[in-house]
Amino acid sequence: MQAKERHQPDFGTGQKKLSTYLIGLGICTFLTLFAFWIVMSRQFSSLEGFVFIYAAACLQFVAQLIFFLRLNTQTEQGRVNVMSLVFTGVVLITVIIGTLWIMSNLNYYMVH
Amino acid sequence: MHSQTLDHDGTDVFGFWLYIMTDCILFACLFATYIVLNGGMQHTLMLKDFVALPDILIETFLLLASNFTFCLAILNLYQSKLKKVQFWLMITFLFGAAFIYMELTEFARLATEGFRWDLSAQASSFFTLVGTHGLHVSFGLLWILIMIFQLPLLGISPASKRRLTYLGLFWNFLDIVWIFVFTVVYLMGAL
Repeated sequence: MQAKERHQPDFGTGQKKLSTYLIGLGICTFLTLFAFWIVMSRQFSSLEGFVFIYAAACLQFVAQLIFFLRLNTQTEQGRVNVMSLVFTGVVLITVIIGTLWIMSNLNYYMVH
Repeated sequence: MHSQTLDHDGTDVFGFWLYIMTDCILFACLFATYIVLNGGMQHTLMLKDFVALPDILIETFLLLASNFTFCLAILNLYQSKLKKVQFWLMITFLFGAAFIYMELTEFARLATEGFRWDLSAQASSFFTLVGTHGLHVSFGLLWILIMIFQLPLLGISPASKRRLTYLGLFWNFLDIVWIFVFTVVYLMGAL
């Protein structure tokens, strides 16, 4: 049985356990409700709301990566997956922040 | 236990993972476009005047639930219970289809109420971003249907495990993109 379990292909996606998925579901449900409540309760200023909903989104992103995608660094495959994810993150931030920076700069010089 | 060399199936899955990473960059471009076009410009018709947030909340939970039921299908796959895998895939399909149905009715409602895609650059970027995500989900649904019919032919084999792993990565990725869609588009728009 032990030997058989070892030969299960896991593709760098980790062990499959119901408890992990349930924890992930709980965290994601909570964070989603939290983010919607912040906006729908109308008790928060724009800046506070901005900070809270982006924090909730980032936390939920991490929770999804860990509990549903099962990203891990336990195996060689897992490490390669994480490395390519980090590289994509760098490209993503360059594209988004770079675009916003350039466009706001253009906007500034159009006005002034 | 920790094999240093990648096996063949593992390399295939890594290739699919790289495809998902490039898809992330596609979505990053659409998000950047959306944020730029929605920053500071005031139009007579704004998205926030039309959006019904409770509907978006329901859509979010439909997608989250489908994600979870897909994980249950994977669990049953590794316990070699073919019928239960098909059952959970079917439930996943229903949740996903309900999501697409709600999204399409929302688009139709926005268009009839005057927030059309040809209204402004802001409206175009909204429909492109959310529509691209919806299109991905639609292809995911088609893929789930194909897997439901293909599973009895493949049985519980390394091939079916590999294919469902691809599908799982894709389906999960769509839920992750949706987190940012509802945060950046709907919640920021309503704030």
